[in-house]
Amino acid sequence: MRIRRTSEGIRARKNPCPVQSSRGDSPRQTAFSQKSFSQIDFGLFRRSVSLLTLPSDLRDPAQTLLQHAESRLVPGERITARLSTDLNWSLHFHAGLIVLTNQRLLHVEEGAFHDWRLQNLDELLLEEMGPTAALHLMQGEKAVWHWRLTAGHLREVEAFIGRFKEQRGLTAEGGDLGEDDDEELFSPEAVAEPKFAGKPLLRLMGFSRPWLGLMLLGLALTVASTGASLLGPWLTMSLVDDVLIPLQSATHEINVQKVYQFAGGLLGAALLTWMLQWATTYVVARLAECVTSRMRRATYEHLQTLSLGYFSKKRTGDLISRIGNDTDDISLFISVNFIDFACDVLTIVFTAAVMFSINPVLALAALGPLPIVAWLVQWVRVRLRGGFAAASRAWSALNSVLTDTIPGVRVVKAFAQEQREIERFRQHDQQIFDTNDRVNRTWSFFEPTISFLTEFGLLVVWSVGAWAVAHEQTTVGVLTGFVLYVTKFYSRLDAMSRFVASAQRAAASAHRVFAILDVKPDMPSNKDTRKIGRLRGEIEFKDVRFRHGTRQIIRGLDLKIAPGEMIGLVGPSGAGKTTLINLVCRFFDVSEGSILVDGNDLREIDVIDYRRNLGLVLQEPYLFFGTIADNIAYGKPGATRAEIIAAARAARAHEFILKLADGYDSMVGERGQQLSGGERQRISIARALLVDPAILILDEATSSVDTETEREIQAALDHLVKGRTTIAIAHRLGTLRKADRLVVLENGVISETGTHDSLMKHSGTYARLHAAMVEVNHA
Amino acid sequence: MTLLATGPYLTLIEADGVRHEKLRPVRLFPLTDPQHWVALVDENGREAVCIEDLSTLDASQRTLLDAALARRDFVPVIRRVIAIKRATEGHDWHVETDRGQTVFRIETDESIQSLGGTRLVIIDKAGTRYLIPDVASLDRESRRKLERYY
Repeated sequence: MRIRRTSEGIRARKNPCPVQSSRGDSPRQTAFSQKSFSQIDFGLFRRSVSLLTLPSDLRDPAQTLLQHAESRLVPGERITARLSTDLNWSLHFHAGLIVLTNQRLLHVEEGAFHDWRLQNLDELLLEEMGPTAALHLMQGEKAVWHWRLTAGHLREVEAFIGRFKEQRGLTAEGGDLGEDDDEELFSPEAVAEPKFAGKPLLRLMGFSRPWLGLMLLGLALTVASTGASLLGPWLTMSLVDDVLIPLQSATHEINVQKVYQFAGGLLGAALLTWMLQWATTYVVARLAECVTSRMRRATYEHLQTLSLGYFSKKRTGDLISRIGNDTDDISLFISVNFIDFACDVLTIVFTAAVMFSINPVLALAALGPLPIVAWLVQWVRVRLRGGFAAASRAWSALNSVLTDTIPGVRVVKAFAQEQREIERFRQHDQQIFDTNDRVNRTWSFFEPTISFLTEFGLLVVWSVGAWAVAHEQTTVGVLTGFVLYVTKFYSRLDAMSRFVASAQRAAASAHRVFAILDVKPDMPSNKDTRKIGRLRGEIEFKDVRFRHGTRQIIRGLDLKIAPGEMIGLVGPSGAGKTTLINLVCRFFDVSEGSILVDGNDLREIDVIDYRRNLGLVLQEPYLFFGTIADNIAYGKPGATRAEIIAAARAARAHEFILKLADGYDSMVGERGQQLSGGERQRISIARALLVDPAILILDEATSSVDTETEREIQAALDHLVKGRTTIAIAHRLGTLRKADRLVVLENGVISETGTHDSLMKHSGTYARLHAAMVEVNHA
Repeated sequence: MTLLATGPYLTLIEADGVRHEKLRPVRLFPLTDPQHWVALVDENGREAVCIEDLSTLDASQRTLLDAALARRDFVPVIRRVIAIKRATEGHDWHVETDRGQTVFRIETDESIQSLGGTRLVIIDKAGTRYLIPDVASLDRESRRKLERYY
């Protein structure tokens, strides 16, 4: 099992090197392949390896240390385990390596080497001290050496201690351990290196792939409508030269027919442009809606696959803001700005081409200010980029304040902290104001500057044009056409500058959305999982250990629960009761050991299929916005009304539901505001009853209600636990007395098991807890 | 099982002779399935019997129960929305229902609830329920007025 996980962990880091033996058959072996290097490397630089390539000067110590250790091996000695340490005794970063061989324990660090014969050693003692840990090498009562390392290495340390114990036992019998092949790798929810890191807008293109046809259509329409919009000035040019000038000078015969033709042509061009633009706008807006809708769904779907651990780290407001606001920004960008941009570029290219074809000198004059504009765009782009990212973050922060204080409004009012919350909101709002203000300042300078340059360009065209007309190098009509083209040209540049802003905003938003999509679920969905169908409900814990971050919460737990048995979990808070339940629900995977249900390892069965066997009643029942009937049928959406009513009856919820104006059709709010705690709890019990679970989990289901309600809930629970394997965390004596067996958990291990009566006689932890409970109840 | 009407209440005599007095009928799914699931509860809200399908009752009993239900039932069905006006708090709805024209006030947007599909329930300030069984079947004008608020 461990080996499998190990190789997965390595794959997750895109490191193709399989774990490979580095046994020192020859003690002088110094040639080091890159493969065996990567193995040690995980010990020392595990975290950094996943994200970036290490500079070579950081890699070398570990490699040299191992080479050094290998050079010290005597013939017949081989390495069975290694542990990299990263601190010295005064807690400065300092690389060291402990090597376990079949004969000795070696310690190498820069300029130092120590070794101890295994038979002289007794044990390795681990002392955890928050962010760091110490490893003491004991000879009897005496510590002969100490190592220090950061808590990130704790898993490897534990594995190493395990190897040490095994090897010491074997050495005493003259045997050897196998190869050092089960290096532990702990794979946290790692952010995968995105394919297009830093190019979120390119990734957006990937999202629009299913609508390639629509995209091409949009593009074609854009080209067409841009081309159509350029017809007007062209016609104007001929209108002036062929009709108006001759008309004014009256040297030629007046050609009224031609006036009509031109007017008709202009109208036609305008109509064509109008229709094409209409079509373009709609097609592109639709495309944008498709892409962002796909993005929103993909993000939410991905979010649902992530573990509880991810949600406990994230602020709700931030996630809402990413799925809501950020995708909206992207939609706006694609629908409005991107199409504008395409139009702009085309217009600029077309107009430039047209102008050059008519009169290169005038064209050159007209395009004079262009380099300044290009430089300006670049300058603004850089300044805006940071600004928009900051604004998005500020929005997230504001959303977080709202999602925090609105549900918690009772607490706010009870402690009269309205002013403080107003202040908190004001501060975050000020932050949005400030970031936007900063952006606007850059912005407000930019637009008028572009306008000024437009005017300037026109001025140049007029003066050069006047000179050219005077010298008869061009005609008034051409000049008029030019002025129209130049105006178009520069107004497009102006619009393009707006694109710069929105592209930066969209890039910042896309980056935030992709950040969610790039999180890998920390419980790899095993491909070859089995469907198990209905369980009998036997649960077995085999030396289960669980570590969350640097804290070891469950430290070696063995327990077998028979089908239909009710287990009461007791213990002081922080003992690991809720963690144990989270493990049974497979919200988290065990770090070591295994949990078996009906003899199947939890990691090998389909998690969705497994959870259909579970019923969960929490201390704080969560009701979704919807009718009571919907809430009861949450775990079994196809339930008939008869089933719903039966479940409600069994959960003692039927009668209070009858008293509600809309009966089972009553809406319960975001948190079931209209119902009391006990009523909500009974609905959640009905919900658990309806799915008819094989395994029932009660997480302090009765602890938040009064005694009278507890009796009601207890009666409901009696129905529920019948014939099911039940694990109940409980403080109430009523629940505890009903349990077949009580399990007392302390510091992540089981300290006592037995029935209520036998534990009371035992006068251990349970008796103490019980005395305290009785005292509280009587007080 | 026999039902009797005693004044405003119903009396139930079970097959084994047990009498339940002063009962009133309560619909379990008044909005989504009013024709099934009717419970008879006593003064204290305790349920004496629950009838899944009213059509299983014989005619006289059915009439008795229907009459008792009709006496309590008040869920006007909105046929046409005449006007919805913004008020200081919430909106005033002027509607035509199966029980005639009326004006009522709703306080928040949450007072308009969707019960799956196009079925809407509107709860006014006083707690009266108004039902729109199928929004799509309303006339065009009504739908347009409704659209602004729901």
